[in-house]
Amino acid sequence: MRALVLNGALAGDEGLGPIEEAVTSDLVASGWTVERVQLRDVFIAYCKGCFDCWVKTPGICATRDDAGVVTRALARSDLVTLLSPITFGGYSSELKKALDRSIGIVSPFFMRLDGEVHHQPRYSRYPALLGIGVSEDRDPDEAQIFARLVARNAINFHAPAHAVCLLSRDDSPEQMQTAIGRAVTQVTTRRGVA
Amino acid sequence: MSVQRAVVLIGSAKPAGTSTSEALGQYLRARLQEHGVATTVLFVDRSLKSLANQALTAALAEADLFVLTAPVYIDSLPYLVTRTLEDLARSARPGRSPCAFAAVVNCGFPEAGQCRTALDIVRAFARRARFNWAGGLALGEGGVVDGQSLETLGGLTKHVRTALDRTAAELAEGRTVPAAAVEQFSRRLIPGRVYTFMGNLGWRRRAKRNGVSSALDAKPFELAAGK
Repeated sequence: MRALVLNGALAGDEGLGPIEEAVTSDLVASGWTVERVQLRDVFIAYCKGCFDCWVKTPGICATRDDAGVVTRALARSDLVTLLSPITFGGYSSELKKALDRSIGIVSPFFMRLDGEVHHQPRYSRYPALLGIGVSEDRDPDEAQIFARLVARNAINFHAPAHAVCLLSRDDSPEQMQTAIGRAVTQVTTRRGVA
Repeated sequence: MSVQRAVVLIGSAKPAGTSTSEALGQYLRARLQEHGVATTVLFVDRSLKSLANQALTAALAEADLFVLTAPVYIDSLPYLVTRTLEDLARSARPGRSPCAFAAVVNCGFPEAGQCRTALDIVRAFARRARFNWAGGLALGEGGVVDGQSLETLGGLTKHVRTALDRTAAELAEGRTVPAAAVEQFSRRLIPGRVYTFMGNLGWRRRAKRNGVSSALDAKPFELAAGK
């Protein structure tokens, strides 16, 4: 079982490092092979919205940089952890940049799913999603937006399961470990790979 | 209190003149101007040379209305917009004179409701960056506009233009986006089934022009069986 951890910490933010370590050790202890990417340390250009990844080089972004490595790992994982400071309820710009460039993992063609239109899957299987949002001040509105964003991403990326873990920077290491362990168990159980 | 100066920020990464966000922003700019609001249109900084978007920050220092028009990428705002908002929130000063903030977002799915999370994010940004939230508009079927001016599209966008007319009139007077405009703006441009049919046809045509018709369903990262 392959897990990918995408760390969306912005430059100068060292607070997400221990959380990345905690989720990695939890997964490794459960038998997962974990690949980690500190997104601020790799070069990823922004998505130009050209859709070449759909209609020119299907499945692959035409811009060649480290986004290709991230998208490949994402498509081949069983679980993707999206670790990010909660940014107005959404992801940080570092994480968003990588996700924007990964839309080639779905097809351009439309389909109906639970009463809404979404893009068809490109692959036969997709990773489960674990969103870990780290808050500065436990803002409940932003926490709710973050949880819904992860749930919406799970629909659009055809994730077989998803879970959300909301942490605060002033949580103790023990509190963080407990919350992460609970979320990992939740998402892997739902996916049937616990 | 009527608004004197406004900034419309176009949040699309596409080249100038080709995005739905720009078409919506330019229409709104023209309407605000008609109401006597001196309106500046700026684009999200694509240069990546400077984290601080100095032109935007300088324009906002003089503005009493800020309007963002942006596409929805994967349920939220695109990277360039997210980074710009991070920068603005970082530089927000408590003592700044009040500035209203409204947003107009569009997505490529038929349902305007799929813009909801993106709108919630900009609303949360407004609070963090100490702007006065003036409301948001959400449009589905953004692919119908596809960078064309709203006037060019005639009757297809009549309700969209009316909603923006109403919105401009209220924002110019220092009020919020009216609920009637929110509802009107979110109405379908064409029936959803027609949109998805035309959309799927459009992808096939573009692929054919690029000589990759038979590769549209390619799975370049598929793991071999058993891996």
